Amino acid sequence: MTASELIKKIFFLEIIKGLGLTVKHFVSPSITRQYPIEKREPVPGARGLHALVRDAETGKERCVGCGLCAAMCPSQCIHIYTSEGEEHQKIVDRYEVEVLRCVYCALCVEACPYAALVLTDHFEYSGYTREEFYYTKEMLLANWDKYMSGDKGMNYIKNFWRPRSGDFAKKVESEPAEKVEK
Amino acid sequence: MELLLMFVKILVVVTIFMIHLLYVQYFERKVIGHMQARMGPMRVGWHGILQPVADALKLFFKEDIIPSQSDRPIFFVAPIIGVIAGVSTIAVIPLWKSFSIANLNIGILYILALSSIGSFSIILGGWASNSKYSFLGGLRSSAQVISYEISLGLSLVGVMMMAGSANLSDIVNAQANSWFLFPQLIAFFVFLVSAIAETNRVPFDLPEAETELVAGFATEYSGMRWALFFMAEYAGMFIMSSLAVVCFMGGWNGPELPLVGEYSGLLWFVLKVYGFIFFYFWIRATLPRYRYDQLMSLGWKIFIPLALLNVIVTGFLRVL
Repeated sequence: MTASELIKKIFFLEIIKGLGLTVKHFVSPSITRQYPIEKREPVPGARGLHALVRDAETGKERCVGCGLCAAMCPSQCIHIYTSEGEEHQKIVDRYEVEVLRCVYCALCVEACPYAALVLTDHFEYSGYTREEFYYTKEMLLANWDKYMSGDKGMNYIKNFWRPRSGDFAKKVESEPAEKVEK
Repeated sequence: MELLLMFVKILVVVTIFMIHLLYVQYFERKVIGHMQARMGPMRVGWHGILQPVADALKLFFKEDIIPSQSDRPIFFVAPIIGVIAGVSTIAVIPLWKSFSIANLNIGILYILALSSIGSFSIILGGWASNSKYSFLGGLRSSAQVISYEISLGLSLVGVMMMAGSANLSDIVNAQANSWFLFPQLIAFFVFLVSAIAETNRVPFDLPEAETELVAGFATEYSGMRWALFFMAEYAGMFIMSSLAVVCFMGGWNGPELPLVGEYSGLLWFVLKVYGFIFFYFWIRATLPRYRYDQLMSLGWKIFIPLALLNVIVTGFLRVL
């Protein structure tokens, strides 16, 4: 044992160092966020509750019922039921998300060619039954109205998701642009 | 009349001590919380100030579970031994100038004896629970007690030699001009570490050892009985802190403070004791638990020889 090791052992230098560290934290302010009292501002692009995009022109959902989101979903929580319309187009009868099974990977949003689906930044939802978390098409559209009102929704999609559809890109071009991160 | 006065004295001191026991754990949670960059209790009352009251109410109304195979009389009596041993020790602590409930001539011995009895509550509780975790906790406690009680006692021998008395008031009076802290530095160090081991605090909380033994000796205890163990631990902490203050840091001695006048002695005593209690929490927030063999070898191989050496050196100095 060298002399410095001996001194270290006798005078507990390591322990004193540790005590210094804890007392430093003691005098520095705590980093706790008192959650229900002070709420955290969600990070831009946060993935929270699902919403179906309501088309500003038609006032209906933008979803065409292609089923790519349901096919992509790793937890298989999206259920889509379609029927054939008068002009042989697909009509989305039911679009349902089992929110409790969702893992918030947002692969569905990435998969959607029409930017018809988005994860909003609303993260505080809780309930007493499982049924409350079975979101139907109407509920998902209401989520869009509630949490993505005004320009927020389209900006959200434009800034954080990049749908491939040219049809959609044209529409976004005409709207006021914020900074594009991707 | 004298008896009545004595009774009032005991009542006041014990009541204040109980409130202290209630709030010292709030203090601990706050201190450790802030040391971990948290806040500690915040929700019950202003900054969680009513948290201990809520905890006490909860513990009081919790179900009292007794394991069916336990040794019932011992199981019942074990936590009570701890509390009685802890609380009755304050009788000899001189809180301020010649104020102690009982001014015993063998104050130090009395405290050491009762703190040894207090560890019986842990051993018996661990034995009576009929659970392997409790049993291991009790065994560890007994081994810990025999290795630390000796060095604890020996570390105070130097102080007794310097003061020429085992009466705590006399020891404090002997320190009127200078504390025993510096001449007895080695003894102070040995005492400090042994006292942590004696009160089963981190880093020597082997009888409890949450990570290994669930809750050690307290595994099978719940509700009020568990709270009694808890009280005994915090009472022991107070006693050991005040013993350290009395024996090494001059007890109530200190310059007179403005505003409080003649009560500054009491204030000094309380301040010093709380400084020590803070030190306990500080250590708890910093150090991990010692391994069992490390604890034993520290006690037997280092602290007992150190304390003996201190006794010999002090004796020589006294003779010279």
